[in-house]
Amino acid sequence: MRDRRIILKSDTMKKELLFLLITLNILLVSCEYDNFDEPNATLSGNVVYENSVIGVRTNGPQFELWQGGYELKELIPVFIAQDGSYSVSLFDGEYKLVRKEGGPWMSQLTDTLVVNVQGNTILDVPVTPYFIVNDINISKNETSIDAEFSLKQIVETANLEFVNIYLGEGLLTDQNRYEAVSSADIANISFTESSMVSVEIPEELSNENFVYARIGVKSNLSNELYYTQSFKIDLN
Amino acid sequence: MNKLYIYLFGFLLFGLLPSCNHDDWFEREPQNIIVDEQLWNDPELIKSLLANYYNRLPSLHGVFNVGGMSEIDDAMYSGHFDQNWRNDFEYGDDYGRYWDYSFIRDINLALDNLDNYSKDLDEEQVALFKAELRFIRAFVYFELVKRMGGVPLVTEQLIYDFNGDPTNLQVPRSKEYEVYDFIFNELESIKTDLAANNNSKTRANLYIALALESRAMLYAGSLAKYNSLMASPITLSGEEVGIPANLADGYYQKSLNASLEIINSGRYSLYEANSNKELNFYEALINKDNNPETIFAKDYASELKEHWYTFENVPRSLMEDNEGSSILSPSLNLVESFDYLDGSDGALNYIDGTGNYIVYDNMTDIYNNKDARLWGTVVLPGTAIRGSNVNVQAGVAVWNGTAYELQNAPNLGDNFSDGKLWTGFDGPQDNAQFVSNTGFYTRKFISNKPGEALRNNSTNWWPWFRLGEIYLNASEAAFELGRESLALEYINLIRSRAGFPENSLTQLTLTDFQKERRHELAYEDHRYFDLKRWRLAHEIWDGNQESEEAVVYGLYPYRIVNPGHEDDSKFIYVKTRPTRFRRARFFRLANYYASIDPNVLNNNPKLVRNPYH
Repeated sequence: MRDRRIILKSDTMKKELLFLLITLNILLVSCEYDNFDEPNATLSGNVVYENSVIGVRTNGPQFELWQGGYELKELIPVFIAQDGSYSVSLFDGEYKLVRKEGGPWMSQLTDTLVVNVQGNTILDVPVTPYFIVNDINISKNETSIDAEFSLKQIVETANLEFVNIYLGEGLLTDQNRYEAVSSADIANISFTESSMVSVEIPEELSNENFVYARIGVKSNLSNELYYTQSFKIDLN
Repeated sequence: MNKLYIYLFGFLLFGLLPSCNHDDWFEREPQNIIVDEQLWNDPELIKSLLANYYNRLPSLHGVFNVGGMSEIDDAMYSGHFDQNWRNDFEYGDDYGRYWDYSFIRDINLALDNLDNYSKDLDEEQVALFKAELRFIRAFVYFELVKRMGGVPLVTEQLIYDFNGDPTNLQVPRSKEYEVYDFIFNELESIKTDLAANNNSKTRANLYIALALESRAMLYAGSLAKYNSLMASPITLSGEEVGIPANLADGYYQKSLNASLEIINSGRYSLYEANSNKELNFYEALINKDNNPETIFAKDYASELKEHWYTFENVPRSLMEDNEGSSILSPSLNLVESFDYLDGSDGALNYIDGTGNYIVYDNMTDIYNNKDARLWGTVVLPGTAIRGSNVNVQAGVAVWNGTAYELQNAPNLGDNFSDGKLWTGFDGPQDNAQFVSNTGFYTRKFISNKPGEALRNNSTNWWPWFRLGEIYLNASEAAFELGRESLALEYINLIRSRAGFPENSLTQLTLTDFQKERRHELAYEDHRYFDLKRWRLAHEIWDGNQESEEAVVYGLYPYRIVNPGHEDDSKFIYVKTRPTRFRRARFFRLANYYASIDPNVLNNNPKLVRNPYH
């Protein structure tokens, strides 16, 4: 069999190899301009109204961040998690946060929040929801989940469309994904006293160890619902 | 020897370098390009340029766009699994975004060139070409305003003069109603020039301009009316979005006038060539020979320009090619929404009051006495298309003494142990590709000519406007203007073609128009825009998994296996939720107007962003 190893026969060949290595070295060394540091600051917080966090539909409402000082502008979307928290990776600097319409709160387009991001910055974003739910007490009865809550109207011009309780296998439960739903009797809901809504536990969930329950409130002024947090309810 | 070379060199130098006195010798007609003077003075060349522009007329998901139809019309996508996102998506902020100012520029440039170069053509011909271009431009602006709201109205070329200040090129958005007014005024001022084309169905003519007026003004009227009726109307403070409610009647009146001019011209009539009303409706859309109903169509011709629609949608067992087929599966919801001919609600009777299956002798019996347009729009189980029966049967329902056990064959076309058909060659089959997942196949626009189910081989045309729509436009506008008898006359005309008795409706609500348009114009790129202009889209496609409207359901026929019993080999129907339809349609308020591309906003700081974006 022939020997297939590369045999360096002479000094010229060694030189060529050296040249090749040097050239490769020069070519592969990166240029300073195309290396950026990764974003090392974060902006995070909750969407709040008077210290209570506003839940949303997962993959639903968003805020926008803008940064001035550049020729071209492009928004940085801020995705809001279902529990009302958000977090964005950014560079240090001054940003403008826009609470855009479409959420279960009033649009505040002209009321931009200026936020100075340095390292890990925490900013709770205040919004004005149409309705909020307080004093929630969710409990399991024999075959149903009962929720006691007090509903408060924040925006006078809004009308209540429905109040639903949702059951789901997972945390991500809302109007678009749920295992069971039940509507409260709107006629009997008052904004001064506490109200009740209950939902039968469906058969396919009855063998689970736990379910998640949350209440959603729809006003007629938005097609996104206000949600409470998802509560984990033990079934056994 | 050397001297010879020097002389030769010197001679060449003197001979070659002196310049020629006749500069025009250099100026020759180019042999490989057509210059403006040639193009704009040759009617044949101008026509071929116009053909290019007509070909570029925009639509959202019309013109045989099967994938798009499955996203916004009453159907689901049963094609390749790779594209199952069409059954599993939310309308994004940019859904339906359209900003084709390069086309607008092309048209404006052509208009200028006709003015500047066309000296050899006679005036009437130039006027006709210009009118056609302006028709196309109005059509494009209508598409823009439908999807984006008020857009910048650019009617001449924007040319930069290199003075360092581009602000004069930054055209702000017009108000939404100003764009509709622009469309109306343009069409009014060109319509008489277009009369020379009146015998054409593929080039703009007087009646095609009126048809566009009829549709656009109806949209403007209903936007004015129904946006204002919303709990939180969608508006911008500069009225780039949102038409004031007090303009509604004016627009409805303009729409009605345009429709009446078409109807009363006597040039068009509903297609009634086939006495079988079911086949008649199907033929009305594909018959190209002297079709009296078609007003404006995009035509196709063999070997020249063909489309894929029949290849993509022919029922599986009737494939002529080796792949594709069966992509657009109509929804049960659409099938049920067609009323019975006696006027009763169209819900199908597959389960009786006690929850038991209702048994049918023949597979088609369940659909008896339904609107003829159902049969003309959908291939129902047990019916024929392209000269052959479809072979639709989901499986067998074996009676085990107390209940039916539903069994599906492992392979399409298998026979059951009793020697008779188990599952048909056309399915339906759940969670499968290139076979119906709902139990229905689409019939509308499927060519009936042999060979046209081969890939890219269909030549039936796409009707942009037809008289059926104009009657419905006229009826709706008359209804909104309080002229109920006129509204009833026209809507009942459309319904009697569908097999309903004379004067089947005696009073009207908006729901009647919602239904009629859904039935008459299914898969013709109307449903999405109709729901938008009535401001119903967010209620119908609410994203709720339990919604009958936002979810596409199917209805599977099963053959009963119960030897010795009278029901043996008869049929029951089972409602199913196709596995492949993963997410209910979800249309948010933000989708009424698509977002404007951020690059466009950066280039023109005068543009206002759309609401919710």
